[in-house]
Parts: sequence; structure tokens; C-alpha cells
Amino acid sequence: MSFAELHALLPQLILALGATAVLMLGAWWPSRSCWILSGVGLAFAAAISAGLLVPSVAEIGGMFSTAPYARFFTILWSLLVGLTLLLSLRYAETHRFAGAEYTSLVLFAGAGMSLLSAASSLVGLFLGLEAFTLVLYVLIAFNRGDTIGAEAGLKYLVMGAVATGFLAFGIALIYTSSGSFHLPEAMHGLQQGDHMRPLGLAGWAMLLVAIGFKVSLVQFHLWTPDVYQGAPAPVTGLLATGSKGAVFASLIPLFAAMGALAGELNSVLAVLATLSMVGGTLAALPQRNLKRMLAYSSVVHMGYLLLGLMSGGADGQRAVVFYIIVYGIATLGAFGVVTSFSRADGEPQDYETFHGLGYRHPRRCIALSAFLLSLAGIPPMAGFFGKFGIFHAALKSDHQVLALVGILTALVSLYYYLRPIIVLFMQERPAHELRRGWIHEFVVLAVCFSLVLLLGIYPGPLLELIGQVLPQP
Amino acid sequence: MIVPLEHVLFLSTILFILGLGCVLARRNLIMILIGVEIMLNAVGLTLVGASAFWQQVDGQIMVIFLMAMTSAEVSISLAMVVYLNRRKGTVDVRAFDEMRG
Repeated sequence: MSFAELHALLPQLILALGATAVLMLGAWWPSRSCWILSGVGLAFAAAISAGLLVPSVAEIGGMFSTAPYARFFTILWSLLVGLTLLLSLRYAETHRFAGAEYTSLVLFAGAGMSLLSAASSLVGLFLGLEAFTLVLYVLIAFNRGDTIGAEAGLKYLVMGAVATGFLAFGIALIYTSSGSFHLPEAMHGLQQGDHMRPLGLAGWAMLLVAIGFKVSLVQFHLWTPDVYQGAPAPVTGLLATGSKGAVFASLIPLFAAMGALAGELNSVLAVLATLSMVGGTLAALPQRNLKRMLAYSSVVHMGYLLLGLMSGGADGQRAVVFYIIVYGIATLGAFGVVTSFSRADGEPQDYETFHGLGYRHPRRCIALSAFLLSLAGIPPMAGFFGKFGIFHAALKSDHQVLALVGILTALVSLYYYLRPIIVLFMQERPAHELRRGWIHEFVVLAVCFSLVLLLGIYPGPLLELIGQVLPQP
Repeated sequence: MIVPLEHVLFLSTILFILGLGCVLARRNLIMILIGVEIMLNAVGLTLVGASAFWQQVDGQIMVIFLMAMTSAEVSISLAMVVYLNRRKGTVDVRAFDEMRG
């Protein structure tokens, strides 16, 4: 590996080597807040280096691209990791987390996500995906006193291991059909008339199953509500935003490389998208637990993202990337509010504990309402433009029926997003006091809140930036 | 290549399905993990066969990556087995069904 390649890989190296250093030094000096804050510093340093350094090679080791698209997502995931660590500071203090281990695991997850988004070969895709999946196995069960956390960890472990098997077998079959892992070439075995075509198609089916598990599309989503409920709230935030967003970010170049085959896959994807949108909505309606409701709503959001991906073209890709960002900000914020309310004996999740909370903790409850409204897609919030972009791209590429299903489920989703807000503000019953937030948590929530409002009023610059970094056809 | 590619693929598909069946049918966490191992070894076999078929080394390098990843996964999941056993005194996955809804 040459110096130029190492230079191009610097942001990921800062994350991964920084995580290793924190892990080792933490063995000698067990200080919680010190390591978490240094993790925040490392994550922001990685984001800055990804933004400022111009890579001199186009590809690292034939596995990872250094295109502006990959750099953009490296910045995004590094910032996400930094914000998550900042958010976890008090949570880790309350629950007596081992600070250095927690910090290094979250940083490793960031490195994995940014490698996945940058993958330009199937090997890179596999390594990036596994890097953060393995980390999440540990992080989900990180709260050692918690039986529900252990159960969530078990469920994610079994589901994740099976998904890994499918992913690896899919990649192996695609390699058998084409003789290459590198992305445009790996698709050659799929051309009409090639005698290896059935193998390649079987490989693609396996890959779709694995991706369905990872981003929890309906049929493969059964682990989602339990894992969301059982995992520590900051980890759930990371899982819901980063791991799903990074998988979708890696799918955009993958679908672009498929060319004509993408059209043939559309019938399968249409079924998955419809099932996810309708099934997720129906399951979210009766929920009385905020984290489970957000889990089912994430299934619906993944359906929308799949719809955007199917629409393809510059419009569809731009809509997908914009949607990943606004969905990520609102979800991180919502789990941030849950984190800041949590106490040593548990997190407030049931709607019963939220009765009249808006009068006792007005700032955080207004922020939570804003995040939920953004997820629902109400106009002044950023989520509106996200949904608008997806449905616009779907209508333009002749997916009218799917777009109609999407718009209808978005209307129905108002019910389950407004319900917690009504509980927060409409009931006069005096709420019992929950945790007072720390300044670190308020900083993260303020950042998410202002971004949700800003992108809802003035999304132009971000959309323009996304249009510039997207891979050119 | 002495062994035809079809035979390799046939064997690895059977192995993969056996492993998947083990994961779906067994309720003991350790047996589930063994099933996953069988699935991943079927993948390794496919990659080695394809690598020999295309006369390339890429597939074999991927097998080494796969082995490294698998060992990391096994160490994490065995740690998980110990942890779960301490919590509930069993590694039967049916004991872990507190969350509903």
C-alpha cells in the first residue's frame, strides 16, 4: 500500500487507529468522560481531514473509492459518531459504562460505516458491513445490568450472523459468475445470454436477503422492535441512523453499476417496498412504546428509501441521499431526547410516563415534537422535503402505484407520530420529574433541532451539494 | 481444474442449506452458532472453487478475509454465550422472550 493510498485513507485511519489507541490506553487510565471526550475529538478530526485533504488516488487497494461521494459520507458518519459520543456522556456516567471500551467501539463503528459507504468492490462492501455489525453486537448488550439489553443483543447476534452468511454466499456466487469482485466488472456475469447468469441472479437474491435483514425491510424486520427497545438509547440512535444509512449509501453505486439489470430487479424491489411501507405502518399504529414505535416507523422509512432507489436517475439518487440525512438527524434527535430523560433504573419509553411532560420539561419536549413532525413530513420540518423528493422522483419514473402507497402511508403515519405529542402536551396530569439534562445533551439536541428547521426552510444548498458529490453516470 | 465447478457449487449449496436448517431448527444458542459456521464454510468452499475456475487469486484472498471475520464473530458470540448463561443460567434461546408487541 503506497503512501498516497494511506494519505487517502487518513480519515478512516484516524477513526480505527484512534479507537485502538483509546482501547489500549484506557486499560491504564480508567477515566470515563476523558476518553469519551477524546473520542469526540477524534471523530471531528476525521471529519475535518476528510473534508480538507484532497486524495491523490482514485481508489484504495481496489476496494474503496475516494470519490467526493465517499468523502461526503465519511464526513457525515464521523460527525454522527462524534454527536453520539457527546450524547452518551451522561448516559455512560449513569450506567457505569467502561468509558474507553465504549468510545473505541463507537469509533470502530464509524470507521466501518465510512468504509461501507466508500466500497467500490464487493470485498470492501463485506468488510465495511461486518466491521460495524460486529461492533453493534457488543454495543447493544453493553448495559450489563440489563436483562432486556442481553435479549436484544442475542436477537441481533442470531439475525446478524444469518444475514452475514447470506451476504457472503451472495458475494461468492456473484464472484463465481463473473470472476471479479470489483464493481462494474462483477456485473458482467449478469448479461443476457451469459451461461453464468443464473448463478449471478441467485447471488443477487442472496444479497437482497442480507440487505433486507440489515436495513429491516418487511419479512426481514422481526428483530427491529426488540433490538430498538432493548439497546441503550444512544446505541439505538447510532443503529437506526448510521448502520441503515450506510447500507443505503453503498447501494446507490451498486445499483448504478447494474445498469439494465436494475430494471429487471424492480419487480422484486417493488414488492419489498410495498410490504415495508404498508406492514411497518400497520405495526406502528397500536404501539404504546416510543422506541418500538420508532422501530416500526424506521421500517416504513426504509420502504420509502427503497422506492427512491428504484426510481434511480440523478433525481432519485439525490432524493435518497437527502432523505438519509434528514431521517438521520430527526432519528438521532428523538433518541437523544430519550437518552437525556433516562435514569439509572431505565429509560422512559411508555407513553404513560410521558403524560403532561411537556409542561415540566418544555424545551426537550418541543424538540422531540419537532423531530417526530419531521419524521412524519409536516411542511416546516426537513422531513417534508425528503418525502417530497422521493415521491417526486417515483412519479417521474413511472412508479405511480408505489408513490400512491407511499403518500397514503405517510398520511396514516400522522396518527402514530402525533399520538406521543398529544400525550406530551394535552394531558393536564402533573408529570413526575425525569432527569435534568446535561449541557452536552442540550448541545446535541440543539444541533439536531436547528438542522431539522433549517433544512426544512432552506434545503437548497444541501441539495446542490448532494448533486455535486453524486457519482456521475 | 480437476473437480468440475458444478460439483463444488452443488456441495457448497448443500452445506449452506444444512447450516441454515441447523440455525432455524435448533434452540440451543451454541448449536445455532455452529449452524452459522457451516454456512460460512460453505461460502469459503464456493470462493475457493470459483478462484480455481477463474485462475485468479482474488477468491482465495477473500477466503482469508472471511476466516478472519468469522473468528472475530465467533469470539464475540462466545462471549455473548457466557454473558447470557450468567444472566439466566441457560443458553436456550426460548428463555429470552420478554419483549412483545
